Amino acid sequence: MSDLGFSFSLSQLWQVAGGQIILIIAGLVLIFVDLWLSTDKKPDHVVTMGWLTALSFLVALWYMVCPGWTLNEIVVIGVFSTEKFAIFVSAVILMAGIFASLMSIGYLRNNQLVRSEYFILLLFAVYGAIAMVQSVDLLMMFIALEVMSLSVYVLAAFLKNDRRSQEGALKYFLLGSFGSAFFLFGVALIYGMTGTVNITKIAQVLSTGSFLEHPGVLVAMAMLMSGLFFKMAIVPFHMWTPDVYEGSPAIITGFMATAVKAAAFGIFIKLLSVTFTPILAYSGQPEFQSTVNLAAMAVYWKPLLWWLALITMFVGNLVAVSQQNVKRMLAYSSIAHAGYMVLGILAANDEGRMGVLFYLFAYTLMNMGAFGVLYLLDGQEGKAQTLEDYHGLGFKYPTLSFLMSLFLVSMAGLPPTAGFIGKFYLFAAAIKEGYLLLAALGIMTCVIGAYYYLRVIWMLYMVEPSREVVAGRVGVTSMIALIAAALGIMYLGILPEGLAQVANVAQQSLAMVF
Amino acid sequence: MNAPILTYVTFLPLLGVLAILFIPQQSESGKNAIRWVSMVISTFVFIVSLRLYFDFDPDVAGFQFIEKYTWIPSYGITYFMGLDGLAFWLVLLTTFLTPITILSTWTAITKRVKEFQIAMLVLETAMLGTFVSLDLFLFYVFWEIMLIPMWLIIGVWGGERRIYAAIKFFLFTAVGSFLMLVCIIGLVYFHNQETGELTFNLLSLYNTNLARMYEILFFGAFALAFAIKVPMFPFHTWLPDAHVEAPTAGSVILAGILLKMGTYGFFRFAMPLFPDGSAFFTPLIVVLSIIGIIYGAMVAMVQPDIKKLVAYSSVSHLGYCMIGLYVLNRHGVEGSILQMINHGISTGALFLLVGVVYERRHTRLIAEYGGICRPMPIYASIFFLITLSSVGFPTTNGFIGEFLILAWWVQRGSGALRLVHNGYVQTYGAFMLLGLVVMVWFFIV
Repeated sequence: MSDLGFSFSLSQLWQVAGGQIILIIAGLVLIFVDLWLSTDKKPDHVVTMGWLTALSFLVALWYMVCPGWTLNEIVVIGVFSTEKFAIFVSAVILMAGIFASLMSIGYLRNNQLVRSEYFILLLFAVYGAIAMVQSVDLLMMFIALEVMSLSVYVLAAFLKNDRRSQEGALKYFLLGSFGSAFFLFGVALIYGMTGTVNITKIAQVLSTGSFLEHPGVLVAMAMLMSGLFFKMAIVPFHMWTPDVYEGSPAIITGFMATAVKAAAFGIFIKLLSVTFTPILAYSGQPEFQSTVNLAAMAVYWKPLLWWLALITMFVGNLVAVSQQNVKRMLAYSSIAHAGYMVLGILAANDEGRMGVLFYLFAYTLMNMGAFGVLYLLDGQEGKAQTLEDYHGLGFKYPTLSFLMSLFLVSMAGLPPTAGFIGKFYLFAAAIKEGYLLLAALGIMTCVIGAYYYLRVIWMLYMVEPSREVVAGRVGVTSMIALIAAALGIMYLGILPEGLAQVANVAQQSLAMVF
Repeated sequence: MNAPILTYVTFLPLLGVLAILFIPQQSESGKNAIRWVSMVISTFVFIVSLRLYFDFDPDVAGFQFIEKYTWIPSYGITYFMGLDGLAFWLVLLTTFLTPITILSTWTAITKRVKEFQIAMLVLETAMLGTFVSLDLFLFYVFWEIMLIPMWLIIGVWGGERRIYAAIKFFLFTAVGSFLMLVCIIGLVYFHNQETGELTFNLLSLYNTNLARMYEILFFGAFALAFAIKVPMFPFHTWLPDAHVEAPTAGSVILAGILLKMGTYGFFRFAMPLFPDGSAFFTPLIVVLSIIGIIYGAMVAMVQPDIKKLVAYSSVSHLGYCMIGLYVLNRHGVEGSILQMINHGISTGALFLLVGVVYERRHTRLIAEYGGICRPMPIYASIFFLITLSSVGFPTTNGFIGEFLILAWWVQRGSGALRLVHNGYVQTYGAFMLLGLVVMVWFFIV
């Protein structure tokens, strides 16, 4: 048990929020580097900026993982904490950031967008996501959420001359603000009820029992959850997803579907398991014994999640079938993937949380990979994104098509890929808790999913080309990123135990340390 | 048995894949090199698997050549392989058929040779893995890996309606096997509740006592997955499409080996894991198998397309295998196993023979085969012989299995009706294939 008080020292700040500090400093420095570089108007400076961004992510990743992982207890200063759970999710976010920045170099060049504020926005988006995952204070969570969201709104609108990009970004902004407002309102309510915004203290107050059945608390919980459902794109809060995902630059879409989602899922798990579940009862600390009462909360959110998981999987997978645009199809499929992950949260056991973490990791690899190939085959954004454009590309671009197939097979959840193992963990967790029916229905939606993923592959390999498609220039950085993702997927599909252990340790830190 | 021979046999084909990956296929010589590598490696696998033949001790009950390593310890998943009398023959069948099949693609597959041979070799690994794994998770992984190369073989190198056939094949199989995964996990957790041991080890799971409801549910899901693969009567519709559209090699593998996975799955997994569920469904399965036998034979009889004919005859033959399993005594099961192996050989041969003509004349219509014995006498003789074996003519390999199955099925009690049934069926089957021979031999155009 660590100090929940608000002691403060610089060394502790560095220990807890070092990753964030690195990112902020990198962001601020890069703004000036960019100014200095762009004076000679050479397109090359985008490449430099991309590499510098990737490098700062890498440094932050190193800092968070290497010294961070060895900390055996949670360290809290005021609003931030560092525990293995937050570190794991941050690592996923940073990984998504590294992939995004490496592939963006090629993306910006192929689309002739020589504007390197892109990378600075990416940096701040990642910073916001990490700050969000690390915060133990609802207000800080909100602020970080906004930092992340605002950067991503701008990135979504980055294709200035593309109306779909503008439309998507506006939708994202309006609906996202709406979601944030829900979240903020939930914070206000729970503050009104319990007099605190610190999640562990809220749990303490709630566990005294008198508030548990109070409608105000329930409404607050619902508000907080709705706000996050927006970011997680859970049906029926998913309406913005397809338009935004289709309109945004391909790499940003991949980033939104992985990093933003990972952050939202991380917070969601944290909220549910720290604030609104009985899990703390197991930590064996006297003051939390009474939190058994909190089991009552699960009665409220479990049936809710049951239905949300089901309709999210169904709607995501079913609607994706009718999409002709591959990017839009992937948008719907990302809704379905969120549904699978909700399954793990619903299970609310060790395996479930571990499964969600594992799946976030695997999903980041395969999704960033898929969007990477998508932008390469595209040439220029929106040039060749439909199923029709993919006809017969398999033998024209064998490497890209093979990579695409691998990523899609992994998303479809077929062995021997990470997608299969991740899905196995999630479904196993749900089945362990007795959700056999939900798992059976869910796995049927996976069949639908497999259908439309394989449809892309059959367009690639089994149909004669219907029109000439010229893929964009395949840069070295993108290729490195794609091959790394592919190797990661295969490795995790065959030897998942290592990452699973790490994820398990990470999720245990939630239960044991808070 | 020190050398992990099952691992060698299973994963050797992947070695060939590695080699093939680095051979460019632009030139004709490159293509030939790829074919040779593929051929050599699959023959080598066969030779290695012969080692099994010599070391296998038929007098020992239980599994031999056991290999067991931990794989995913937190879920009790092991890399667990072993061989018993059934898997032994199926492994040999697989290693035997694959080089023959690859040989048959020498001139049949001229486009995208590299991809094709890779698919074949990956498929071989997956098939062998399915037969030798004794860990449910490992089994499931191989079972699913098998889908993709077969799907590609049908979809990329198939006939006119190949995409339709491929996707039908995939969807049918995926529905069954995805549900099976849920039930595997369910079974494992029930076992865990009962004994406190979390394991995917098949031999431990055999001892699980499930509630009757779950036995029935789980058996239902397993049976669905395997029945689709067999294929049993109402789930058979993917088979004719897949066979007709698949290239010859695909058909041979499909009929020769993939269908056996259904019956193998019943025998190895569904029946022993859920005996009560199996008993509950026995009448249904028997009735469906009989319908399958008769229906398959009758539909086969009227097919103008020879590949469809053989496909439907497979439905019929596999019905025999299922009946044999559900005789539920030693001899019936023996008959069923014999029938599986022999059907693999005979039907594989039939498809190869069809392929020979198809490659030359690009027709599969029986009517156009008339009088083929004149220009191709040797071909016609072999065709005749194989047909006899497929019909189940005494002194051919097809006879012994069917005889055992029928004999013990009748012997099992209240035989009269069944005798009549199966007598008819047998006759139907004989008629249909003899009819084919008559066409081939005596219709001289």
